[in-house]
Amino acid sequence: MSAADLLARWTAPARRRVLADSLVLAVPLILALAAIGWRLSGMVAVVVTVLIGVAIALLVARHRAARYDQRWLVRALDANRPDLEDSADLLFADPAMLGPLERLQQARLADRIDGDSPQSLRPDWSRRLIPILWIAGLIMIGLALFWPRPGHGPPTLAPSTEALPATPGIPRLVAQNLRIIPPAYTGLPPRDLASLDARAPVGSRIEWTLRFDPQATVPAIQPVGGARLALRRDGANWIASRTLDASFLYRVDPASGRGPTPPLHRIDAIADNPPQVKALSPAASLSMVTAGQRSWSPVFAATDDYGVAATARLRITLAIGEGENVTFSEREIALSGSGPARDRRFSPRLDFSALGFGAGGDMVVQLIVRDTRQPVANEVRGPSLILRWPSPKQPESSGLQGMVNTTLPAYFRSQRQIIIDAETLIKQKRRLAPDRYLARSASIGGDQQILRGRYSQFLGGEEEGTPEPPTNDGEQHSDDDGHDHGGPPRQPGPGFGAPEDVLADFGHPHDDSPASSLDPETRAILKKAVDEMWQSELQLKQGHPDLALPYAYRALRFIKDVQQATRIFLSRVGPELPPIDASRRMTGKREGLSSRVLAISPVEGRDGPAAAAWRALGDGPGAIRGPIELDALDRWARGQAAHLPDPLALSGAIDAVRRDPACLPCRAKLRALLWTAMERPPAHLARRRPADAGGTSYQSVIGGGTP
Amino acid sequence: MTPAWITAILLGMAVLLASVRLILWYRSAAAPSPKRLIALLLLQPICAVLLFLTLFPPAVTTGGDALRIATQGTPRLAAMGSPLILLPEAPDTGAGERVPDLATALRRHPGTSEIIVVGNGLPLRDMDAAKTVAVRFDPPPQRPGISHVAPPAIVAPGSSFSVCGQLSALPRATVELLDPAGQVTDSVQADADGRFTLTGTARAAGAVLFTLRVRDGRRTVEQASVPVLVADSPAPRLLILSAAPNAEIKYLRRWASDAGFAVTTQMSAGGGIALGDAPIAIDGATLRRFDVAIIDDRSWATRRGVVMGAVRDGLGLILRASGPIDAATRGQWRALGFGLAGKDGVAPLALPKALPPAIARTRQGIGSDDVPADIALPDEMLPEISRLGLTPDGGDAVQLLRDAGGATLAAWRAVGTGRVALFTGIDSYPLTLTGYRTLYGDWWSAMLATVARPAPGMTPITTSGWAGERMVLCGLTAAAQVERPDGRMANLLPVGGCGAFWPERAGWHLLRQPRNSQPTPFYVQPADALPVMRAARDRDAMLTLRPPTPGDRKATGQPNPGSPWPFALGWLLVSALLWWLERARIGRATVPQSAK
Repeated sequence: MSAADLLARWTAPARRRVLADSLVLAVPLILALAAIGWRLSGMVAVVVTVLIGVAIALLVARHRAARYDQRWLVRALDANRPDLEDSADLLFADPAMLGPLERLQQARLADRIDGDSPQSLRPDWSRRLIPILWIAGLIMIGLALFWPRPGHGPPTLAPSTEALPATPGIPRLVAQNLRIIPPAYTGLPPRDLASLDARAPVGSRIEWTLRFDPQATVPAIQPVGGARLALRRDGANWIASRTLDASFLYRVDPASGRGPTPPLHRIDAIADNPPQVKALSPAASLSMVTAGQRSWSPVFAATDDYGVAATARLRITLAIGEGENVTFSEREIALSGSGPARDRRFSPRLDFSALGFGAGGDMVVQLIVRDTRQPVANEVRGPSLILRWPSPKQPESSGLQGMVNTTLPAYFRSQRQIIIDAETLIKQKRRLAPDRYLARSASIGGDQQILRGRYSQFLGGEEEGTPEPPTNDGEQHSDDDGHDHGGPPRQPGPGFGAPEDVLADFGHPHDDSPASSLDPETRAILKKAVDEMWQSELQLKQGHPDLALPYAYRALRFIKDVQQATRIFLSRVGPELPPIDASRRMTGKREGLSSRVLAISPVEGRDGPAAAAWRALGDGPGAIRGPIELDALDRWARGQAAHLPDPLALSGAIDAVRRDPACLPCRAKLRALLWTAMERPPAHLARRRPADAGGTSYQSVIGGGTP
Repeated sequence: MTPAWITAILLGMAVLLASVRLILWYRSAAAPSPKRLIALLLLQPICAVLLFLTLFPPAVTTGGDALRIATQGTPRLAAMGSPLILLPEAPDTGAGERVPDLATALRRHPGTSEIIVVGNGLPLRDMDAAKTVAVRFDPPPQRPGISHVAPPAIVAPGSSFSVCGQLSALPRATVELLDPAGQVTDSVQADADGRFTLTGTARAAGAVLFTLRVRDGRRTVEQASVPVLVADSPAPRLLILSAAPNAEIKYLRRWASDAGFAVTTQMSAGGGIALGDAPIAIDGATLRRFDVAIIDDRSWATRRGVVMGAVRDGLGLILRASGPIDAATRGQWRALGFGLAGKDGVAPLALPKALPPAIARTRQGIGSDDVPADIALPDEMLPEISRLGLTPDGGDAVQLLRDAGGATLAAWRAVGTGRVALFTGIDSYPLTLTGYRTLYGDWWSAMLATVARPAPGMTPITTSGWAGERMVLCGLTAAAQVERPDGRMANLLPVGGCGAFWPERAGWHLLRQPRNSQPTPFYVQPADALPVMRAARDRDAMLTLRPPTPGDRKATGQPNPGSPWPFALGWLLVSALLWWLERARIGRATVPQSAK
């Protein structure tokens, strides 16, 4: 057996014992700390405390175990094993370095060493410390678990701060406690307050525990402007309770009106705010489907002051179809959120195929969340997010920057038609009689005229008669008149180009001619086309279709150019109305029209009592230095409570002045509060003062201003 | 026989004896040195004269006719030097003559033609006395604080007002205006010169104190009360003429009737049909019944003769444009004295940035069922309001309103005893629909107040007074009374229309005059309020006093004993020289050798 093996075999039991001993010592401490942590801040503290405690305990244990090394073993063997003859050192010495005698002794020791087990060397348990620590730990755990919580059990009364003078025989508040038990859904712990003023969530239960000296007979809580709340005797104390539904002012009346009036106390109700919903992604309300997208996962965050319900609803509105053929479908799906109750995340995954969402449709989603309020939860609808799947056919228009129409295809076909007709006529020239040829040419010229007329009209030129569609030439043409009409008209309409005149149907042009709908470049090209058409028409009507052809071709080329710019932009500016011709006004039918009196009734200001009291409390004009009649103000304040910034404070200040009319700080405070409680009337005028006689004559002389 | 004479005789005899002794010694000397003898003989009388002058220094005649007057803030070191007259405000410097006021000092020191004022300056009490003499005064540097504040004179109920002022030695400090409830209602940074303008709003009629607070960083440098007197004037009778019914007239009529004005609206609907109030004839007699008329360009064109005649007699006129104006109207308005420079047509009107909600709320009153409070809080959307491209200022016109871009919106000028204003905004009513009611009201009430026919009313008292300081109230016609804040009365006996009043306590005082049924309130600041402003006022008054001219030095003055120290020093030096000459071996080299 090598020296290392020997060492490991003989120290292992001792090390194991020390490790076990350390852990046994550490466990009660860790448990006690964990219990205190749980009491103070919940399960998270327990986990953190246990992890840190165990880590420290293991480190300390390892450190303690490390002391049981070779030196310790040699000393322990020498001390405990007489049969090793104080030579345990030799067991771990390198034999090569030893003399013959030492080697002999080493061999003897190696034989004897196993005469006893290694367990005999291990240290004892910490027999005194273990029970002490365990008992202490258990006591601490017990204290942590069973220490009375505030808001439970009998309250501790605090001395009163009302500082009223003691009057013999009249009860006086000497000690008090205010317990606030918030509604369970808020998750707030009950608490005890030493003062009688508090802020508490709406729906909290408020319990007063009061003590009077000398003992009162019929004490009560007297809310300002409310019903008395009788106190109930409970041993030496008096108790009362009520549920907080709105902020109120009250005073503790120990002797039903006898004695000095006690000061007011205030309990503010904190309303439960509805949850707030925010869309985290996408950031913009409108997003587009990307290529290859199969599902959509918007993310919402919902926050609330007490907690958002774990489940929410997602309203999905699908708009499928195009143009006028859009169908809507609406459905709601339930979602469950993640994250802490006060800040939940909702991230639904919306599968397109499952919802039936396809190209050309819009999907609008809206999250509807509730909070945990009892009995009725606040429900809030979040922002709507729109996912648009653009139709593959229609290019996406860029908002409302300009209304875009593709237009004019039929015109171009017609110009081509004229060219084809003219070429056909040239080919047939030899076979035709000259007068027939001229008539045919003039007829094509007529078509060209009508076409030019339409284009001129489009450019703002005057219209020459009612244009006829060149593709529907009436009696001048028939299907068998020898030339090609290019098939039947695509869409019979009342006028030429009517199917294309979508601008008039949908675009609602604000200008008096469609010409200004064209951008200047397009307009210039179109004008050139019309000029060429003029020439073409001229030659055709004179019976020279061959001479007309180059112009017709040029016209067609220009129209082709126009086709490149097939957009018509409607101007964004408002209408420029023609000046009003006053002489024409009211010149039509006027039966039953006559001058009328339009009645108007001014809005009356309603802060009369407040302004009067405000003046009375000051030291300027209208000041009243003695006691002030405040009943009117009090009534007014109650009536206007919905509009006042802090009606309770105003009531309190009114009460303070009423109790002590000579109290200057109370009057100043009430006056300051009244400033915030007054209307600002519509501005009156500060009129200038008349000039004296000299000033008036001076002004009359300098005159000025010719009418 | 004065001590000086006795000393002089003793000294003369001592010099004589010493000279005799010197001559005798010279005669008997072994190796006499005549130079030494002459030096000694000359130096001894000089030494005696210097000793005499040390004991009895001659009177100083330089600057003897200028009295030094110690005032408040005199440094302790000023006690050194020539004697000091201490006014009651001066700190105790340990030396000097206490007098109750400057006039007493001048009476006790007749012949004084010039005074040197040490410290912060003479109080107002001594100004009259100081006018009889030349005053030499080197003003101390101004302390940081409010050096001037101008509270508004009289504010109409519900209108907004501005408080202007200046800070000294506090460039770029923050100035806040606190309303009577203690909320910050405006906050600006003073400019490089320390000037500032703050805005507040009034409520019902009454006397009220706003608070001005100057802050340098987070430290409050100074705080002062700003008295604001809110008083109502008689409601104006308003005539609105329009050539067509439109929204602008509708909202203007609503605003004016809500403000309590007596409004008569006449809207022509064409063809002889009029809408609005009962029709009236527009002639001189009817127009005399109105205080102010708002007339649009088209109505004005046909009635300008009769309207301008009424304006000359005191009617206020506001001309407004219902749209771009034609050349004829432009020419007529130019002839009225309005500049109308700029482009024809319509330009956008720049609206001011919305106030922070917290400040905007302090400028509003409470709401009601009909008018909720948040109706006056601006929307996010700015209303599109335009104005004429022509600006009405220039010419004889005075600027009245400006938009946020600095363009003039309205200007006025006087015509006879009346006034004409020209408003170039077109359709201001969207302001009332988008939360800018306040701005709308401010614009129209500013225009109406400027031009409306004058009305009798309270004349404000604008002098600022401090408790414990004499105040002069002017404009009194007969014996008047002042009601103090505690209700006691003080009688004023006016001389030349002005009466003096000594306020004892700070607060609102009421001046009651037998002819006026309404008392005039005025505010007296606490004695320790606005110290820098008070010092600046006194300093400005000091600087108007006559400084000394070279001719002032001829007057006789009291001889003052001069300082003995220069003579004592001279005597010491001469004595040392004498001693050295007596003992020195120079010139008697042979004597020591023979002594060996």
